[in-house]
Amino acid sequence: MRKILFVLGVALVASAAQSQLPFLTKRPTQPIVQGIDALRVDFAAQSGGTTVYFGTESVILGAPAKTVLTAQAAWLRHHPDVVVRVEGYGDGADTRDHALAVGARRAEETRGFLVLLGVPSTQVSTTSWGKERPGLGRAVTSLVR
Amino acid sequence: MKRFHLTLLLLGLGTAAHAQQAGSPAGTVIAVPPLTSPDSGNKGNQMLSVGFDISKLIESDLKQTSELAPLPTKREDYYSYPEVTAPSLYKWRTAHAKVLLMGFVQSRSDGRLTVGCYVYDVDKGREMARKGSVIAPSEWRRAAHKCSGLAYTAVTGSPGIFDTRIAYVAESGVGDARTKRIAVMDSDGNGHRYVTAGDTTVLTPRLAPNGSQLAYVSYADGKPNVRLLELGSNQDRPLVGGDAISFAPRFSPDGGRIVFSMMNGPNCDIYVVNAGGGAAQRLTTSPGVDTDPSFSPDGSKIVFESDRGGSQQLYVMNADGTAQRRISFGGGWYASPEWSADGESIAFTRRGQDGRRIGIVKPDGTGERLLTTGSGDEGPSWAPSSREILFQRVDASGRSGLYRVTLDGSAPRAMTIPQDGSDPDWSGVMD
Repeated sequence: MRKILFVLGVALVASAAQSQLPFLTKRPTQPIVQGIDALRVDFAAQSGGTTVYFGTESVILGAPAKTVLTAQAAWLRHHPDVVVRVEGYGDGADTRDHALAVGARRAEETRGFLVLLGVPSTQVSTTSWGKERPGLGRAVTSLVR
Repeated sequence: MKRFHLTLLLLGLGTAAHAQQAGSPAGTVIAVPPLTSPDSGNKGNQMLSVGFDISKLIESDLKQTSELAPLPTKREDYYSYPEVTAPSLYKWRTAHAKVLLMGFVQSRSDGRLTVGCYVYDVDKGREMARKGSVIAPSEWRRAAHKCSGLAYTAVTGSPGIFDTRIAYVAESGVGDARTKRIAVMDSDGNGHRYVTAGDTTVLTPRLAPNGSQLAYVSYADGKPNVRLLELGSNQDRPLVGGDAISFAPRFSPDGGRIVFSMMNGPNCDIYVVNAGGGAAQRLTTSPGVDTDPSFSPDGSKIVFESDRGGSQQLYVMNADGTAQRRISFGGGWYASPEWSADGESIAFTRRGQDGRRIGIVKPDGTGERLLTTGSGDEGPSWAPSSREILFQRVDASGRSGLYRVTLDGSAPRAMTIPQDGSDPDWSGVMD
């Protein structure tokens, strides 16, 4: 949902700028999203989010995470052609390699839960960003193709 | 005379004696008069000029140590070529020097240079060590570093760190837009060069003991994987095939094997593989994260970190994976261990309420000591001398730099590098 609002916001800013141009009177009223971008927006909206969060040092999925992943799994079962990658993130206070491992485990736990709910294992790959990208410990499901 | 000289040079190799221990806090006083030359005329003048540069660099190298105190290198301390093997020590006794480093630079018909260095015990009037090398004129810095190492080893018994390299991850930009490139430089900061392009996130470079190869982690395939780079030819290949995430590589002391971590489902275990290729052998099987393996200098044992007991702790096992046992019991979490080259100590990162700090512990788990007070320190890497540790520190402003700390309790010193840096690795002595 947040992503839709963001896309709308960007579109509004863009259209405001366009309206100042001469000879251009027609404003687009809908953001134009096509192909995989449209699927991304739909996936995020239908799943209630692309991101699940973990406690510090934890690799265990909590109830809120499972709710999101259950919805993600339902969407993925309806879109068997779409391939996703789960990107795990470690904690900033951790050491480099342990954070990489924790990120990988978070991604694997997330992937395992999706597979448990009937998503073909070939549809989901994993990676880990360790502490390379700042932010809370989390796993993000991204549409690849 | 020339032949006699070279014969002496060869015979004398490996006679380093420990006659002079670093006793005073200021270090052992060593005289480094400028290298002489057997050449005459214009050539001779050129060689004397190179010799002076080499001696000044030796003086500068030795000044960086706490064990040796060099007297200033002065042109007026010129000596003749025959004096290299028959030094007049009286002059240096009156200057209170305990050790004397002399030598020569000689031009060769093939355009290269022969550089010879001799170390004398001034009080006993005895030769302690000698070493000769043939180099291209552009390599004069390495020749100087070798002479510095010769004197350092003669006095302390430890390998010098002058002719060694440092690899690290050079960082620019912030947040998700950060660019990471692997850089390699001489340990004195010279010869800095980048060995990856910066279009792919890279982590944890680890130099082979002889400095010819570099194992590192790359996101080239979208996920972290260990790759092996030949520094001479720039040939680059994945360490192991397959789809699994792999990281935390380190060479064995002989350079023939590489230990690393690989994901196996949600399980992170330690594997070993020949550096030349082949199938990886799994060494640990416990659930949880086993990572950051590091060989003991004789190659018989491996120290690593594991959270199998609930929190990250240090464990030691035999190199075949048997006899795994925990060695850290000091409270807090222990990570990223590295075994020192003399086998006596293991450096580690300890995580606690006060953040991340660098410490050392004996391989049997006794004698734990913290060396830094920073809250964002990690990734210790031993100098080949086993007397100093290089590590990464994130300071209060969030910038990451490389620091050196000695075991004597003095404050860490920042290394000068062109930009931010992380994941440092100190090579063995080049040859």
